[in-house]
Amino acid sequence: MEQELKAHLKKLMASGDVAGIIALKSERGMAKPYLFADASELECLCLTPKYPMASVARLLLDEDGAARFAIVCRGCDERALRELAKRHQVDLDRLVIVGIPCDEEMARECACPEPFPSVVAVGTKLEQWEAEDIGAAYRAMELDEKLAFWKHQLEKCNKCYGCRNACPMCFCKDCELENALWVKHGRLPPEFPIYHMIRAFHLAGKCIACGECQRACPSDIPLMVLNTLLREDMEELFGYVSGTGADAENPLYTKEEMQ
Amino acid sequence: MAETWNPKIVGFLCNWCCYAGADMAGTSRMKYPPNIRIIRVMCSSRINAEMVIKAFQMGADAVFIGGCHPGDCHYVDGNYRTQKRIAVLRRLLEHLGIDPRRLRLEWVSAAEGEKFAQTMDEFAKEVAELGPSPLAALQREVL
Amino acid sequence: MKYDNILTTCPFCGCGCKYYIQVVDGVAKSVLPCKEDPISEGHLCIKGWNAIDFVYSKERLTTPLIKENGAFREATWDEAYGLIASKFKEIKARDGAKAFGFFSSAKTTNEENYLMQKLARGVIVTNNVDHCARLCHASTVAGLAASFGSGAMTNSIPEVEDVDCFLITGSNTTEQHPLIGSRIYKAKEKGAKVILVDPRSIQLASIADIHLRQKPGTDVAWLNGLMHVIIKEGIADEEFIEQRTENYGEFKAEVMKYTPERVEEITGIPKADLIAAARMFANAEAASIIYSMGITQHTTGVDNVKSCANLAMLTGNLGKPSTGVNPLRGQNNVQGACDLGALPNVFPGYQAVTVPENREKFEKAWNMAEHIPESIGLTVVEMLNAAHDGALKCLYIMGENPMISDPDITHVREALDALEFLVVQDLFITETAEHADVILPGTSFLEKDGTFTGTDRRVQRIRKAIEPLGNARPDWEILCDVAKHLGSDQFVYASPKEIQDEVASLTPLYGGVTYERLDKEGYLQWPCPNAEHPGTVFLHNGKFSRGLGHFFPVSYKPPAEEPDKDYPLILTTGRILFHFHTGTMTRCSPKLNKEVPTGYVEIHPSDAEAMGIADGDLVQVSTRRGTIQIPAYVTRKVPEKTVFIPFHFKECAANMLTNPALDPIAKIPEFKVCACKVEALGESS
Ligand code: SF4
Ligand code: SF4
Ligand code: SF4
Ligand code: FES
Repeated sequence: MEQELKAHLKKLMASGDVAGIIALKSERGMAKPYLFADASELECLCLTPKYPMASVARLLLDEDGAARFAIVCRGCDERALRELAKRHQVDLDRLVIVGIPCDEEMARECACPEPFPSVVAVGTKLEQWEAEDIGAAYRAMELDEKLAFWKHQLEKCNKCYGCRNACPMCFCKDCELENALWVKHGRLPPEFPIYHMIRAFHLAGKCIACGECQRACPSDIPLMVLNTLLREDMEELFGYVSGTGADAENPLYTKEEMQ
Repeated sequence: MAETWNPKIVGFLCNWCCYAGADMAGTSRMKYPPNIRIIRVMCSSRINAEMVIKAFQMGADAVFIGGCHPGDCHYVDGNYRTQKRIAVLRRLLEHLGIDPRRLRLEWVSAAEGEKFAQTMDEFAKEVAELGPSPLAALQREVL
Repeated sequence: MKYDNILTTCPFCGCGCKYYIQVVDGVAKSVLPCKEDPISEGHLCIKGWNAIDFVYSKERLTTPLIKENGAFREATWDEAYGLIASKFKEIKARDGAKAFGFFSSAKTTNEENYLMQKLARGVIVTNNVDHCARLCHASTVAGLAASFGSGAMTNSIPEVEDVDCFLITGSNTTEQHPLIGSRIYKAKEKGAKVILVDPRSIQLASIADIHLRQKPGTDVAWLNGLMHVIIKEGIADEEFIEQRTENYGEFKAEVMKYTPERVEEITGIPKADLIAAARMFANAEAASIIYSMGITQHTTGVDNVKSCANLAMLTGNLGKPSTGVNPLRGQNNVQGACDLGALPNVFPGYQAVTVPENREKFEKAWNMAEHIPESIGLTVVEMLNAAHDGALKCLYIMGENPMISDPDITHVREALDALEFLVVQDLFITETAEHADVILPGTSFLEKDGTFTGTDRRVQRIRKAIEPLGNARPDWEILCDVAKHLGSDQFVYASPKEIQDEVASLTPLYGGVTYERLDKEGYLQWPCPNAEHPGTVFLHNGKFSRGLGHFFPVSYKPPAEEPDKDYPLILTTGRILFHFHTGTMTRCSPKLNKEVPTGYVEIHPSDAEAMGIADGDLVQVSTRRGTIQIPAYVTRKVPEKTVFIPFHFKECAANMLTNPALDPIAKIPEFKVCACKVEALGESS
């Protein structure tokens, strides 16, 4: 797939349609997000591990108000870009999305709801994919078990804000997690459970299930459980699945009455 | 502690309807439990998730939100936003292990003094049955 | 537009996380965790995430400054170098090399530390070179070198995940070494047991199986007590003791005096808990001791360290994965600064200055006409004392801030003011730099190349991501320029890579470390003596560096100052998650500063009540050395009769209060215990 993708990107670059291609570059045996501007560099293009590419796109679109970029996107990257566009954080007209599918191993690791973008430029998407239901064990717990579980998990929190920093959907300039009205400054662990509840709630209807927050967590806190449960709630209560089509809007921001 | 415990309920009441309803209940000497501490807000939609969680964090056993009936919100659609927000927040409370019955949203108009008193009565009983909020107990542990 | 990610190493703690700096058109935008880095694995602490803030701080010094008539004026580099050269020559001609002192820095690179000691030993010709390790882990270097032959963390950070039983003492790991703390959680989830010995109820207390809250300053007593129980119950590792160690008999005779009853009396640790901890530790498959400044910063620092070494040997927990004696080094490159010889008694790679062959080797390599003194030089604290007494006239301080970090600041100020000439090289006009005659603007980790050595002996690259700000210059270039202005032709390097090549040729420990290998392999852990050597994951495999491990009998001595009726409380000091060292870097970060904008004193609720102090009140804390005013934080984190102050904040500097009493061997001051009193001021802050 890598060779095929390189060929595809070379053509795209030659077309002169884009100022550069946002993708991963391998340097000294490690991958890093990079803006490819020259076809010769594409030899160093690589595909793994996953990095939050939508955030890179947002940064670059902000830095250059006019340029058009291509971006190599997985399913989650595309979902993030769509949701960001709804919140006016990226201009999809300035991005050429080059979709690639995830293989089964990666999809399983992420418990990804849809491990491929809407249009796959190279490679073949997984057929008959069904993500593991990571919320199942938690739905079955009694209330006091849940509370004890989260108390234990969240007590490990290092207040690094990594879950927020890594999240492609956390783009607020002033973050409520840093507002001392809600969360006392300078306490470790941060106050239970308000810090993590605010984060989870703010992502309701925004979280596109990329898993970056949990991967960024030094303390291995299963943040994806909360995210997944809330994604289900949004679907059950409002029929809304974030990251889908541009016409669907997050119901928490609309003025319609709840049905 | 068991004998002395009295549920603490924080009530966020919309100025244009529920707060007036509560006022009416008060002036017409309808009886409702004294457990509720009322905070007047300009619209139920002023209440965000942070405020509700913070109330629990600070030791509330339950939170009540009172807003205008559908179609009556002074700011047209504020109460619809509240409605959706609270629905999600109740789910989140449940995921964390906090009984969602501790968070209640009702529409109470300025004329519904009696409904207010009754609702509060009912809610206070329900919370009394639920017992002290487990979060309140946890907060006392840490310092 | 150019967008790239530059892989570099964190400038804060000793974990040594590597991460990317996102750079757009030459401007650093933010930190991006590197998922393939073996230490961070894509995670960072809050300091790492905000590591670029201080680089662009408005307070950054970007041009040399010379003091004239009591005020600083901007100067050119040539003026600054010219002044330094003429003053240095004048003082050397008049008072000799012994009138000079050099403070190197645990925050600068290995190459820069090498150059600093080369400047001291090779150009001025004095061994008076030291750095702040004196204040944190000098006792580790001395203690572990004596017991094992090598004064460094025995095992590696990734191994922490597979430890079966931890003894964590004097290390608030989740705050000071977050990426080691996170691995303790991982090990715990896999079933590890955690014994925490700390007077404070730190974050790790919530997962501790046993938490022993000793009276501060009684570490030798409880460590001996643990070993007493282990020997008495016959759960020591006889085979290990027999084959790998010496002097067991004498040691045993000493620890047998520490019955659990006696230990309870000295330390306040309940007898039953001590016995349970001893069993838990001795019976574990792979048990690891993790400690930090709570062990080292005592007048008995070396004794404490030797006791930890004894415990590991007694239970055979050395030379195997996930075991060992693991001092966690505080600063990003404090390990490297020690390794590269920024110490008064050793050349790079711990080659003693007292050994004639070593001196000859370096004199020859540096093409010297003069002879390097055979006696060891002065330590940080001794240099300041000598300055105070007028014997030391000239001090060159690179990247250190003794006005905040050293004990008894009043004394430090007097010492600095007594100097004839003070050169400070830093990023900021620190409290120390204010006393300088010349300030040289150095550069941050983003603006230069080099290597740092993390706490687990891991040598890693930092890479230039942006150009130096303004007129600032990389510190290695400054040191070379100063040497050249003093007439040396031995400081000609095109880049730090060439400095490292010279280090490798003179330092067996780093003999196989080259930039090519670091680029390819990511890191190298010393000892790495030659190009083929893969580096060393854990030390003392099969054989100790010194041959046999040595059991030192250690007896308990009380701290230098104990509470009395005038000063009834114990004061202990330390660091917090959100800030680093003297705060010059982290306090420039809006995010970090917002979390904790100033210092505070932790007081137990019952003490607070007795003194009429409420949470947030401004109080006065005094010791025999000084007095500060500081907000109170009323919390059960501290035990009764003990207060804690983080030392990062100059406006309420803990080190106005601390006791400069020294460990007799390591010369480390007793930061962790002194007697104090707290008074209510009747104001809220
Ligand atoms: S909350 Fe987590 S899973 Fe959801 S979008 Fe953010 S980083 Fe991705
Ligand atoms: S990433 Fe993990 S440790 Fe960091 S703030 Fe989020 S939950 Fe806490
Ligand atoms: S301060 Fe330490 S734990 Fe935090 S990012 Fe830097 S090296 Fe890692
Ligand atoms: S004004 Fe009453 S709910 Fe909006």
